[in-house]
Amino acid sequence: MRRIAIAVLFALLAVATVGVWAPPSPVRAQAPPDIYINVTGGGSKKLNIAIPEFTVVTGSDSAGLAKMIPTVAGNDLTLSGSFSVVAGADRVPANNPDALRQVWSNFAAAGAHAGAHGLLTLRADRVEAEVRLYDLTSPTFPPIASRKFDAAVTPLSPGFDWRRRLAHKIADDIVLQFTGDRGVADTKISYVVGPSGAKEIVVADYDGVGTSPVTRNGSINLSPVWSPDARSIAFTSFMNGYPDLFRLFPFEPRRGVQTLASFHGINSSPSWSPDGQSLALTLSKDGNPEIYVLTVQSGALQRLTRHASIDTEPTWSPTGQQIAFVSDRAGAPKIFVMERDGSNVRQVTTSGFHTQPRWSPKGDTIVYTQREGVHNLWVITPGGTNPRPLTSGQGDNQGASWAPDGRHLVFQSNRSGRWQVYMMLLDGMETTQITTGAGDATSPSWSPRLP
Amino acid sequence: MVTRAAQVTMLSLLLAGLVITGCAKRPATTASTAAAPAPAPSAAPAPVPPSASAPSSGGAAAAAPAAGAAAAAPQTPRPVPKEFMAVAALKEVHFDFDKYDIRAEDAKTLDANAAWLKSNADNLVLIEGHCDERGTNEYNLALGERRAKATMNYLVSQGIQANRITIISYGEERPVCNEKTEACWAKNRRANFLVKPR
Repeated sequence: MRRIAIAVLFALLAVATVGVWAPPSPVRAQAPPDIYINVTGGGSKKLNIAIPEFTVVTGSDSAGLAKMIPTVAGNDLTLSGSFSVVAGADRVPANNPDALRQVWSNFAAAGAHAGAHGLLTLRADRVEAEVRLYDLTSPTFPPIASRKFDAAVTPLSPGFDWRRRLAHKIADDIVLQFTGDRGVADTKISYVVGPSGAKEIVVADYDGVGTSPVTRNGSINLSPVWSPDARSIAFTSFMNGYPDLFRLFPFEPRRGVQTLASFHGINSSPSWSPDGQSLALTLSKDGNPEIYVLTVQSGALQRLTRHASIDTEPTWSPTGQQIAFVSDRAGAPKIFVMERDGSNVRQVTTSGFHTQPRWSPKGDTIVYTQREGVHNLWVITPGGTNPRPLTSGQGDNQGASWAPDGRHLVFQSNRSGRWQVYMMLLDGMETTQITTGAGDATSPSWSPRLP
Repeated sequence: MVTRAAQVTMLSLLLAGLVITGCAKRPATTASTAAAPAPAPSAAPAPVPPSASAPSSGGAAAAAPAAGAAAAAPQTPRPVPKEFMAVAALKEVHFDFDKYDIRAEDAKTLDANAAWLKSNADNLVLIEGHCDERGTNEYNLALGERRAKATMNYLVSQGIQANRITIISYGEERPVCNEKTEACWAKNRRANFLVKPR
């Protein structure tokens, strides 16, 4: 949301930083001055940020927000991959500039480059948080921005916690201020839990907290995929006996499941078009697994592939102009790309066994799973150049799904001995386990930013 | 890991901030209320499809017929898989890794299955296609479909009426063996047969 009247400073900063994270970007900044070298001593490659306990300006903090928000938002900043959160026990008193300076001085001595301080106004039905950012690399610790956030106080449920959502929004905005790209903390993941034969779909915050079941049909549920408006999830289920395609609405408990496709044969591998109007999917109703596009509103079907081999796992380019997919028409399964109407099929990957393509929201990369004894995640350009591994040497790693920033990926790995969901950055670094449940956790899907 | 280039960029941007705030002297406070976190997405009233059944709270409990014309429904009713039962006379067949062609030894098994089906003509047959856990779920769903279809095609070539046969793929979702060994995977790469009276 850029409608906010950000001060001139940050408008300038945001403009100046656009593209900082675009891979791989040339060095476009001049050499850092000495002061930063001093501050960053110790080999840190991130912006060190301090987030002391928030200060309650008005009201009673019965919900424990003053501690909770900095904790949740701090973890979000860590997961963003751009920040290192500086630990410290200092509290910031209200309306005491000298004490605030002392707190920042202590954090600066501990290596912090920036500080974020929140002021909470707590009412029975609403909470307002003003978050002020300070530059701790200057001796005067000047303020560099202030933003206000507010949230309605609503009953907590396993699927929704307004306190965590407020913290996620604050973190996403801090990421925006310093990098030029909004963070991805205010998102959800959906994934499959359970062993073979008994798989149900759950939804959780992107960091794995707050797991809530969204299917409970006792059947086999597979391949959850968020719609572009983040309000529904398409999935394959055997709930009616055969592998059919459905859609559920995780935030609308009274809304039933919608059947999307229940043809003879398989109805699988849903992929939403970027405009949310259509789904690419796999049907075998005409005798062989082929890729079709289903217009959700009308139910109209368009067949895209006509080949005697398996064609499945479509994934749209962010422009909606192309679709990548898996075909075994060249022997073992490989990644192919075609136009939206099925024309101009070209092979993207060559030797190997390749499945699970997912086109990056930035458009320039396709992630896929390569079978090489175990499975590992690789990326390649849509033109078929520069294939490179993201994972290796740590069990099976597969089923990737992009975060809306095109910079983070969520995937499943059995590196711990059991399937769990992990996230990492596009360069394969900063891998973090985000599910810890007792059952297998597989097939993650990262939602778009929440409405 | 943040690249060196990004680090340099970020830090020099921070410096840029210093320079500018040095002139501004005051917090760049916004006047407007920023990015008000929306209430729970569930707060958004959404149209409930008239045909939707009422599931238990929090999730999809039952499939409802699709709203409008979105449901792409089968052209003819499909038999209920649960109504089919295994019979000892019909033996399963197996497949090589990532293959769906009928092997020579399995053709003999299918010949025997075809003979049984001919002499038990009052039975419908459900062919299940399965995969081992290697490969990935979605691809294996398609692979299992091809195995079931190849098996069906063989039976049809031996004179079994296609309209007696239904196929279903379970992909890798219903293994009969759970060890991570080739012997176990070989057992899971299969097509098996269930029957029910017409």
